[in-house]
Amino acid sequence: MIEGALWRRWVFYNLPLTLFVFVLLFPFYWMIVTTFRPDGELYLPWNAPNYMPFWTNNPTLEHILYLFEETNFARWMFNTMFIALVSTVISLFCGVLAGYALARLNFPYAGGLGTAIFITYLVPQTLLFIPLAEIIRNFQLGDTPWSLILTYPTFLIPFCTWLMMGYFKAIPKELEECARIDGASRWKAMVYIIIPVAVPGILSSGIIAFTLSWNEFIYALVFLSSPDQKTVPVGVTSELIRGDVFFWGPLMAGALLGSIPVAIVYSFFVEHYVAGLTGSVKG
Amino acid sequence: MAKTKRRSVLKLAGGAAAASMGGMAAILATGRTPAFAQQRTVHWLKWVDFVPATDTLLKREMMPEAEKALGVKMNLETVNGNDLQPRITAGIQSGAGADLIMSFNSYTHLYANSVVDVSAIAEEVGKREGGIFPYAKAICSNGKIYMGMPWAVIGGMIAWRKSWFEEIGLTKFPDTWDGYREAAKKLKAKGRPFGQTLGHTFGDAPGFSYPYLWSWGGKEVDASGKVVLNSKETLESIKFMQGLWKDGMDEGGLAWDDTNNNRAFLSQTISATLNGASIYIETLRKPDQYKTEKGLPMNKDILHAPLPKGPAGQFGFHLLQSNMLMKYSKNQDAAKEFLKWIHTEANYRKFFESQKGFATPCTAKWESDKLWDVDPVMTPYKVAARLGQAIGNAGPPDAKAQEVLSKYIITDMYAKAVQGMPAEDAMKWAEAELKKVYV
Repeated sequence: MIEGALWRRWVFYNLPLTLFVFVLLFPFYWMIVTTFRPDGELYLPWNAPNYMPFWTNNPTLEHILYLFEETNFARWMFNTMFIALVSTVISLFCGVLAGYALARLNFPYAGGLGTAIFITYLVPQTLLFIPLAEIIRNFQLGDTPWSLILTYPTFLIPFCTWLMMGYFKAIPKELEECARIDGASRWKAMVYIIIPVAVPGILSSGIIAFTLSWNEFIYALVFLSSPDQKTVPVGVTSELIRGDVFFWGPLMAGALLGSIPVAIVYSFFVEHYVAGLTGSVKG
Repeated sequence: MAKTKRRSVLKLAGGAAAASMGGMAAILATGRTPAFAQQRTVHWLKWVDFVPATDTLLKREMMPEAEKALGVKMNLETVNGNDLQPRITAGIQSGAGADLIMSFNSYTHLYANSVVDVSAIAEEVGKREGGIFPYAKAICSNGKIYMGMPWAVIGGMIAWRKSWFEEIGLTKFPDTWDGYREAAKKLKAKGRPFGQTLGHTFGDAPGFSYPYLWSWGGKEVDASGKVVLNSKETLESIKFMQGLWKDGMDEGGLAWDDTNNNRAFLSQTISATLNGASIYIETLRKPDQYKTEKGLPMNKDILHAPLPKGPAGQFGFHLLQSNMLMKYSKNQDAAKEFLKWIHTEANYRKFFESQKGFATPCTAKWESDKLWDVDPVMTPYKVAARLGQAIGNAGPPDAKAQEVLSKYIITDMYAKAVQGMPAEDAMKWAEAELKKVYV
């Protein structure tokens, strides 16, 4: 908190924070207004007498109904949820074990290996989708959710590993050593002592991994082809952008409804998430 | 309870892993699972059509009809036009994907080594329908094979507001660049500029910048493939564009994509713009939504015109769509049968009529079809396929020409100039970029 005169608090804290929140939330506000705005208001010229860009007096559910009646949106939501959840669980499991090993087990080249894992995260997906497409073909997984569940960990595991490695390093070794002195095996010390302490970090990794899976586009575009297998990001852009015309109402409705699960996940775990990102255990 | 020893678990796990690896090796060696079932399926990947009725027609009526007539299973997939290229690339690299893929412009030349020759079908259809227009032929054929079966041209014409032009004393759209600039200047003074994108977007930007260049006499290359962009004609075109942009255009157009001019026109902030017929068709579809400032349906106030002519003539560059039969396809015969089937007159007519003039067929016969008389506003589009000029002018529209198009070099030349780069420098920059491609 900023101390001193009131104006200092306003200039250095309240005002920047308000601006920041406004910039972050305005797209969501716009999304909500457009979702409920009738078509007739979407293309009104700015000088029209009843022009109200930031509000509508005639809210409608037609765009949401269109989304559910004319497209497979409910199915896309289910697919996205299933794929994001399973790939997040797989990635977290691997990331926690790998992160622990890299942070705690003193084996040769652990540092270099940690850096190498991080570098794999930096390889752009636009390069990786081509070799991965070949693997997906070889295993006959194309157009199934498993094509994404098994490829998303290629970028999620390095991310989770790197995040968890940093988190495990911040947990005092003494906690684990006490358990070892009391007779716990390394496995037990990890499961009963370290992992409970690392829950904020695990949740942070999980939330970010879930969000990355939820929003992923290029693999979902390339590996899935049937309309009922698609995910939300691919489905809405396939069905609601026709040539050079955007169906803004349903598109915004799709974006709004598509962001709700992510918002729910964040709202449930926000405290852990903040703790996970701001540095774990105060030893 | 029997105690499980760690060693026995390891043995069991090792055995299972060895067995599974052996099985996996065998699977990988064959490239398919043991239970893989051979199916006669044709997977057709195309853009999601601007006209929703066409996709509905294809999915609900024509695909079941094709299945019945040909005894194949049809899988029609639609994706956004911008997403076709990653799908093509992934398909070719992995050797699996859709059997037929819609191509935009010279993708055909770019992927020439990965497609099957469809000359027999193209020539048969051309012969039956009065010949394939040179524009479509140049893009779909390299002189030896047809890399894609010509499907349709999405014509680009200028949509303009009749009543606003009448207010400045014009009853028809100007047919020269001088007239165009003058009208734009007068309308911009009234707060209704012309709108045109010079951004990186696949349709409207090159659809304007290429014909504009050609109409002044500028060319990318000569017939032998030598870069000849650096010319007096090109320079004049750039200088004129600099003045035109300032005098009469909506200057925000530099950042527009293909959708922005639709939105600006429908919001009545611009008075004219180069586009497919989508603006007009959208106003037809929702007459109550789009009204003029006087409260009349906007569709009664829109007309179409070709781009003006310059010192070297009048040109158009439109989006040509064809269907490529991929070499990796295991259903090539079935896909060819489908192409033949959908290009029969009765079947193709269903598609053509559902488009209501948005798509212009690539053969001569359809130019005189009665559909063009139904709505006079759409009539200018009927010559889009006949008058279209392919990229890479005056050379072939080959992979190099497509690379220049994909890098937006010609469009960027004008964009840089209107942003303040001297005309000579913009031209030299574009020439240097072209030479990197045409080595």
